[in-house]
Amino acid sequence: MKLTLRINGSVVEQDADPLARLSEFLRQVLGLTGLKEGCCEGECGACTILMDGAPVHACLTLIFQAHEREITTVEGLGDAGVLTDLQAQFAGAGAVQCGYCTPGIIMSAEGLLRSTLTPSDEEIRHALAGNICRCTGFETIVRAVAAEAARRCEAGC
Amino acid sequence: MLTALAPVRPSNLAGLASLMAGPRPVHFIAGGTDLLVSGRRLPETGVIVDLSAVAELIGIDCSGADIRIGSATTVASLEAHAGLAARCAALAQAAAECGSVQIRNRATIGGNVANGAAAADLIPVLALVGARLEVMLRGGVRTEIALGDFQPKTGGLITAVVLPGRALLPRSAFAKLGARRDLTISRLNMAATAEFVESRFRALQIVAGALGPRPLRLNRAEEALEGRTLDPDSLRGFMQVLSTEVDAAIPGRASHAWKRRAIRGVGLDLIARLCGLSPRDPVFEEAL
Repeated sequence: MKLTLRINGSVVEQDADPLARLSEFLRQVLGLTGLKEGCCEGECGACTILMDGAPVHACLTLIFQAHEREITTVEGLGDAGVLTDLQAQFAGAGAVQCGYCTPGIIMSAEGLLRSTLTPSDEEIRHALAGNICRCTGFETIVRAVAAEAARRCEAGC
Repeated sequence: MLTALAPVRPSNLAGLASLMAGPRPVHFIAGGTDLLVSGRRLPETGVIVDLSAVAELIGIDCSGADIRIGSATTVASLEAHAGLAARCAALAQAAAECGSVQIRNRATIGGNVANGAAAADLIPVLALVGARLEVMLRGGVRTEIALGDFQPKTGGLITAVVLPGRALLPRSAFAKLGARRDLTISRLNMAATAEFVESRFRALQIVAGALGPRPLRLNRAEEALEGRTLDPDSLRGFMQVLSTEVDAAIPGRASHAWKRRAIRGVGLDLIARLCGLSPRDPVFEEAL
């Protein structure tokens, strides 16, 4: 079936199985490998993308459910080869270790920061509860998100 | 691989009704967060209908005596709705503790009901307030049924969940226990509603979830606190009765031994929330 999707600001027309996982399509067909298929059960959060600006699991979304929705993957947050400010905060805070979970956490954090620029630490933890990191620990991640929130607030973003 | 299952995303109820009137079997998908987890298979034939674009199925209306919630309203919307939190705090609290942000942004109240999981977070609250379901049958006929009368896989579509205004008492609360604090399936959950008259519990109603296949009304626990003030003695008696409720509900089950102890802690968390207090308040510490 020919599907029309809006991904990272571009309209994509592609033959695909409408009942396949969106995560599989994004990674294997479009080569958007920032998101990861970790558990494929909605537990780890490594496949997190934004759908109409809100974080969702690409692994639990069928391709046809993305029809006419605005899909953003981590690749769509900035230009290739250049860290976004949020990504730079993660790097600066030491919030990245093996990096497997990081794109998913970045997308959850981006979703939070699009809804509020003054999140408390508790709100940041609540927003990131669906993302599991097994090596860095969460303190530095929370600090990175808080720092980016403060920066955007100051910049009036 | 393409299958014989045809996907459709109607944008209004009329389009949905005509699909339901067609000759092919119709399967509904709301958020779909429980559809693709391991062990479940998609149906192989018919029409699979994504409900998330049907405008009439989305929204929370608190303006009348009753609260009407469209069945495709997401759990995140329940969590964020100030009007709902003011009139049914228990449902907003249950929504906030349901899955993760990613799950809440997709999962819906109608899906939670239709999925029929014993550990569902929203269902004990809906049972507590005697929620009713608006259902659309094949041919477009609309009817309203009690929550407990809903039978999944009969072809009917839940279009809205109605919380009767007369059941929405001034205070309500939800508490749960899982393997961890966030993103956790309820091993046990409880919802309560009550009013306070002269500092005493009145009209207290309590429902437990994940203590059997359906939500369970805890009548003896309600009686243990009815008319009592919030004090350590009352709470100790309440906790003892909660354990006996578990004894009666799941005798011999592998989880019986720990749930009869765990329900005491969940019960205290519930009463603390109901009273707007921290579970670390001395009245609860002294009750232990």
